[in-house]
Amino acid sequence: MSTETNTNKLKAKDFITVGIFTAILFVVEFACGMLGYIHPFIVASYVVMIPLVGAIPMMLFYTKVQKFGMITIMSVLIAIIMFVTGMGFLGAPLIVAAGVIADFIAKSGKYKSFRKTMISYGVFSLWICANYFPVVITAESYRQDLVDGGYSAEYCNNLFLAINYKTIGVLLILCFVFGCIGAVIGKAVVKKHFEKAGIV
Amino acid sequence: MKLDPRTKLYMILIVSAVVLMSATSPFLWGVRILMTLIPVILLIIEKRYTSAFGFTFLYLVALVLTFAFLSEDSNSFFKTFLTGYSGIVVQFLPCLITAWYVVRTTKIGEFMSSMQKMHVPDGITIALAVVMRFFPTIKEEYSSISDAMKMRGISFGGGNAAKMIEYRMIPLLFSCVNIGDELSAAAITRGLGGKVKRTSVEELRLRWADWLLITAFTSAAVIFVVFKYFL
Amino acid sequence: MSENIIDISHVSFKYKGSEEGLLNDTSLTVAKGETLLLTGASGSGKTTLIRLINGLIPHYYQGVLEGEVTVSGRDIGKAELYELAGVVGTVFQNPRSQFFSVDTDGEIVFGNENIGLDPKIILKRKEAIVSQMHIEKLLGRTLFELSGGEKQSIACASVSALLPEIILLDEPSSNLDQGAIAKLHDQIALWNMQGKTIVISEHRLWYLKDLVDRVIYMDSGKIAHEWKGAEFAAFDSRKIAELKLRPLTVSDVLSPACGSNCGLKDSCDKIGAMPDEADGIVLKDFFFSYHRKPYLFWKKSFNENDPDLSLCIQRLVLPKGAVIGVTGRNGTGKSTFLKCVCGLEKDCKGIIEDAGRTYKGKERLKLSYMVMQDVNHQLFTDSVESEVLLSMNEEDKGRCNEILDKLGILEFKDKHPMALSGGQKQRVAIASAMAADAKLMLFDEPTSGLDFLHMEKVAELLKSLARTGKTVLVATHDPELIELCCEYILCIENGKLGYIRKV
Repeated sequence: MSTETNTNKLKAKDFITVGIFTAILFVVEFACGMLGYIHPFIVASYVVMIPLVGAIPMMLFYTKVQKFGMITIMSVLIAIIMFVTGMGFLGAPLIVAAGVIADFIAKSGKYKSFRKTMISYGVFSLWICANYFPVVITAESYRQDLVDGGYSAEYCNNLFLAINYKTIGVLLILCFVFGCIGAVIGKAVVKKHFEKAGIV
Repeated sequence: MKLDPRTKLYMILIVSAVVLMSATSPFLWGVRILMTLIPVILLIIEKRYTSAFGFTFLYLVALVLTFAFLSEDSNSFFKTFLTGYSGIVVQFLPCLITAWYVVRTTKIGEFMSSMQKMHVPDGITIALAVVMRFFPTIKEEYSSISDAMKMRGISFGGGNAAKMIEYRMIPLLFSCVNIGDELSAAAITRGLGGKVKRTSVEELRLRWADWLLITAFTSAAVIFVVFKYFL
Repeated sequence: MSENIIDISHVSFKYKGSEEGLLNDTSLTVAKGETLLLTGASGSGKTTLIRLINGLIPHYYQGVLEGEVTVSGRDIGKAELYELAGVVGTVFQNPRSQFFSVDTDGEIVFGNENIGLDPKIILKRKEAIVSQMHIEKLLGRTLFELSGGEKQSIACASVSALLPEIILLDEPSSNLDQGAIAKLHDQIALWNMQGKTIVISEHRLWYLKDLVDRVIYMDSGKIAHEWKGAEFAAFDSRKIAELKLRPLTVSDVLSPACGSNCGLKDSCDKIGAMPDEADGIVLKDFFFSYHRKPYLFWKKSFNENDPDLSLCIQRLVLPKGAVIGVTGRNGTGKSTFLKCVCGLEKDCKGIIEDAGRTYKGKERLKLSYMVMQDVNHQLFTDSVESEVLLSMNEEDKGRCNEILDKLGILEFKDKHPMALSGGQKQRVAIASAMAADAKLMLFDEPTSGLDFLHMEKVAELLKSLARTGKTVLVATHDPELIELCCEYILCIENGKLGYIRKV
C-alpha cells in the first residue's frame, strides 16, 4: 500500500507552511523597511531589495507548493498583516490580485515549470507596491496642502520626487523585473543548498 | 481593560482611513491629534509607559518640526530631508501607534476567535496564527545564528553583501523548515485541520468600553469628513 | 490487562525517497493500561513505531507501508488524523517546536478547541489538568519565555487535556535537566495511575526504570529483545553496556545538581581543584545581567555589587588541556557563562588570561569557539570543506583535509553539511573550531538526545581534543557524559561559581 495522497484540498500542513513562509517574507520586508526609516526616498528602493532578497525563501516556498490556493492565501495574509500593522488597506486589492494571478500562472505550469514559477513570482512581487499606495495618495494631498500654503510647486515636487502617481507605474514594472531576476537567483540558491542537502 | 479584537480592528480601519485625508485646518488637526491620543491613553492603561512616552515624544517633535521650523526658503538638503521625514511621521504615526497597541495587547487565541466570528475561512486563520507564532521563533533562531556568525567573524560576509544575506538566510531557512515540520506534526496530532468546527474558549463580547470607543472613532471620522469636505 | 489497545501486525515501512526500510515485519501489541518503554540505538525504528501509533505514518510522513495497525479499535490506515486526537496524545522531543500558540493558556486548550468541544467543558478540563499538574504559576505566560522543562510541562498538559487513552512520548527528556526530568517522571506516574496506556521512546533510562511494565529493545527495524520491567531494572551495568544502552543508574556526581550546599559552606572544597594561574586559563571579572536598567547616554559596566546578576564570577582558573564539565540546573547560568566566556555577550567585560596574554572584548572570540546545542545554526556553506575553510584566515586545503581526516569526516568533504546526521554535523562544527585554532572549546549540551554509542563517541572526541592541548568546557545535563570524559566539574549556581573539583 502506497500512502501517496493526491487530493487537491489544502490540509493543515499546507496552511502551516504558508504561515511560516509568510512570516519569513515579512521579516525580510521589515529588515528592508528599516532602511526606509532613514529617509522616505529609500523606500523607493524596496522594489529592488525585497524581490531580490525575498526570492530565496519564496523559491523554497514554491518547491513546497503543489496545490492551488497556497500563494493566494499568502497574499491574503500579507494584506491582513499590512492592515493590522498600520500600513493601510488601500493596497489590499493589489496584493490579493497579484497573489491570485501568481497562483494561476504557477498552476498553469503544474507548479513545476521554472519559467512559469519565475513569472509567477514576478507578478507576486507586485504586492510590494502596495506599500506605496497610502504614501502616494497622502503625498499628493500633502503636496497640494503645501502648495496651498504658499510653497512653490517645484519644491514640493522635489519632496516627493521618487514616489508619486507618475512613478508608481515604473515601480510596478521594476518590481516585476526584479522579481524575475530574483527568482533566477533564488532558484540557484535553492539548488546550491536545499537540493544539495536533500530536503526538497 | 480588555477590548474585543473586532473593536481594535475597527480602530485601525478608521485611523488608516483618516490619515489618508490630509488635515487642512487647525480644527481638523485638532480632531486628528485627539484621535491619536486615544491609543496613547490605551497604551498607558495597559501600563506600556515606555512605548506611550516614546510615541508621544516622536509625534510632538514631528508636529513641532512640521509647523514651527520648516518653511520654503530653507531649501538646503537637510531641511528638505526633515520636511519630508516629519511630514510622513506626522501623517502615519497615528496608524502605527494604534497598530502597536493592537498587536501588543491581542492574544492569538482572541484574534483567531474573532476572525472566526467574522467568518474568515479556517485555513487563513490557521496560517495567520502560525505567522504570529513564528515571528518570535525567527527572532530566537536569528539571534543564535548571528551569535554563530560573530564567533566565526563572518557577520559582514567579508564585505560581500550577497554572502551577508546568504549566511543569514540559509541557516534560518533550514531551521524554520525543520521547526515547521515538527510543529505541523504536533498540531495535527492534536486535531488541527479536522472537519469539525473549531471552538474557542475566548469569549468575545462587545462591552461598554468597546461601544464607547466605536462611537468615539466613528464620530471622529464623521466630523473629520464633514468638516473637510462639506463645510 | 488482557485487552490489547494497540495492535501492530507485520508492519514494514520505508520512508519516501529512502532505499532501506526502517521497519521490517514488526509486530507489537500493547495491553490497556500498560507502560511500555522502547529503547535501542538511534535509527533503530523507535520513532517510526511511535509515528505508526499516532497515525503520523501514513498520514503525514509518506512512504510505503505494509501491514496493519489498529489502535483502540480503529484501523490507523483508514482513520483521519483528527479523529485520533482524542484517542492518542503525543509528547514530542523538542519543546521549542511543538507548541502552536504563543501563550500557555491557549496551548493547553488548543487540542480541545480543534476537536470542537463546548468552551465550558474545555475550561473545566483545563482547570482540572492545571490543578492535577500543579502548573498554576505557568498560566498566563508567554511560551517563549519558559524554560525547556516548563515548555515540556505545558506540552504534557496540552496532551492530557484531550483525555486520550493512549499517551506516546518520543524522547521527551532530551532537552531537560534533572529537575525537569523528575517532574516528567511524576507526570508519567500520574498517567499510569489514571490507567492510561503509555508508550515511551527514550535513551535516558535511569528515570524510567521504576515506571515501566515492559521494555522493548529495537535493533535495525526489528524488535530484538523484550523484557519485563522488573527484569530490566535489575540488569547490571555490564549487560546494559553490552546492549549499548545508557546506564540505568547514574552516580551522584550530579544529583542533586550541585550538592545542595556546596559553594555556601567552607567545608566544601570550592577552589581546591583550581590550578595555579600559571598552569591555567584565568577568567577575571565575568559579570553579566540580562536585566539592565535602561540607560540614556552611557553604559555602566557591570560589577560584583550589581543586583540581579545573571553571571557573577570574579576569578576562575580553568585547568588547561582538560575536559571540564559545566553543570547546574537549567536557567542557573550555564549557557550565559559559555556565551560570556567566548565573548558573545559584549556587555560582559570579563578578561581571559592565557600564557601571559590577555584577551579582552572581541579578542575573546578568537580564543574560543562554541559548538552550540543546535548545531544547525552554525553551518553556513554548501560543503563540509568550504565550511572548514571559512574558519581559516588563509585557506589551506591540506590542513583542512588533515582536520577532517582526524575527525573521520573526510569522506563527506563535498557533501552539504545539512545532509549529514546530527553527530556528523557536530564534527563539522568541531572541525571549523579546530581550523580557527581556538584554544578554548565550549560545548553546549552536545549529547542531548544521543544514544549511548554516539555519546561515547562524543566523549572520546572531547578527550582527544583535550589531549591535543585544547581546554574543553562542556555544559551538560548528562551525568553519563561526565562520567565518561570529564576530569573536572565546574558547577554554576544562580550565576555564581558553585565549585570546581576533580572527578
